[in-house]
Amino acid sequence: MKTEYDVVVIGAGPAGSVAAKTCAQAGLRVLLVEKRQEIGSPVRCAEAVGKETVAEFIPLDAKWIAAEVDHFSLTSSQNDTIHFPPLETTLVLERKIFDRELAHSAAKAGAEVVVKTRAAGLIKNGSGLEGVKLIVQGVPHEVRCKIVIGADGTEAQSTRWAGLKAVPPLKDYYSAAQYLLTNVNLDQTVCQYHLGWSIAPAGYVWVFPKGNNTANVGLAIATDPKQTRSAMDCLNDFVAKNFQQSSILSQVVGGIPISNVLPEMTADGYLAVGDAAHQSDPMTAGGITNGMYGGLFAAQVAVDAVRHGDTSRKFLKQYEKLWDDKFGADYRRLYRLRQAIFKIPEEKINSIIRQVSQLDDPQPGMAQLFKIFLKEYPLLMIDIMPLVLGK
Amino acid sequence: MSTPVESTVQTLLILVDYDRCSYCGACVAVCPPDCIILHDATLLIDPETCTRCRRCIPACPTGALTLEETA
Repeated sequence: MKTEYDVVVIGAGPAGSVAAKTCAQAGLRVLLVEKRQEIGSPVRCAEAVGKETVAEFIPLDAKWIAAEVDHFSLTSSQNDTIHFPPLETTLVLERKIFDRELAHSAAKAGAEVVVKTRAAGLIKNGSGLEGVKLIVQGVPHEVRCKIVIGADGTEAQSTRWAGLKAVPPLKDYYSAAQYLLTNVNLDQTVCQYHLGWSIAPAGYVWVFPKGNNTANVGLAIATDPKQTRSAMDCLNDFVAKNFQQSSILSQVVGGIPISNVLPEMTADGYLAVGDAAHQSDPMTAGGITNGMYGGLFAAQVAVDAVRHGDTSRKFLKQYEKLWDDKFGADYRRLYRLRQAIFKIPEEKINSIIRQVSQLDDPQPGMAQLFKIFLKEYPLLMIDIMPLVLGK
Repeated sequence: MSTPVESTVQTLLILVDYDRCSYCGACVAVCPPDCIILHDATLLIDPETCTRCRRCIPACPTGALTLEETA
């Protein structure tokens, strides 16, 4: 490891690796550090991404694709199911391999990648950034750099050092748990969602096929001090009820901010990306490709900043603009949509799902859906329809 | 002269059940004073800076965190 770089990226998840790769491709000297001893492990995610979206970042490769799915269903707590017409084709990833492949692509582009190396603080001169303090396999090592990109995840420390850390309100924080189950008897061509507050309070369940009779079965619940059951408790109940013959091959847990992005994602010499910047979708908490876009945009601005010799927040703020242009309006809408959906009582959700599932037309028109919603939950007109219609 | 008495709740600790903790860091993100230290398979809560706000307890996906009970 050298003592001087243009850019140091903290964290080799998808957002960090894309940032490092993009900077390296532009000819910058880049160091990508990962605190864990293995990139991609432990996995912390449901692993579903849009096929076309991910293909913008990395050539599709069978070795990190566990399943390809283009059907979705929504099931109520009374086991009525709506089948949706195909949307964008979704890939269920093998994150361990996927993350490592992305880091590999950063290295191939010229970035230096190291594991078992954690950041311990930023080196500042006044408000300006001069470098980063690292602990490399237990040995302190100071590195000079012009820009730090913080991709250190939900538990990010770099955002705090940069003065940007915002603690999300608990209602805007998902607590999530997932099993990789085997011996699951399910249609491997459908991604299932289950909705019902008695199953997942203010959250939802996902069942994503992973091929070979396995599936990621997980749930996210909004954090609530009044809630006595943990995400894992809820998951155990769901699995006991729905997958009695299954065995558990692995367990994943984690927290996900769904508060929409940090009010500020940049400081002098610093940009936050991915979960560190709260870039997960504020409704589903999906964050893989969103974080990769964050990494891409941050890197594009970092490259410009180094070329112009201006790494001030004023310059780096262009990154926030790039983000907002692509995701801002959608995220504000999804944030409000989640709040509106979570206000609907469970019996209303059950009743709506039952009626939609009983329609003769397999692909009901808006007018039919409207009628059911209006009858069951007139408030929906005020809360949800403007959002669904994109107003 | 009387000595200031610390309120009981301030002296209680947030306890970590290490048989449940998965070291995922979900608690770290919701901790306002940043008093939770996570290194690989080590999770420590600094009792000096912890304000006992208890936000970490429901955020934990495995229910590994509890507030110490009074005897």
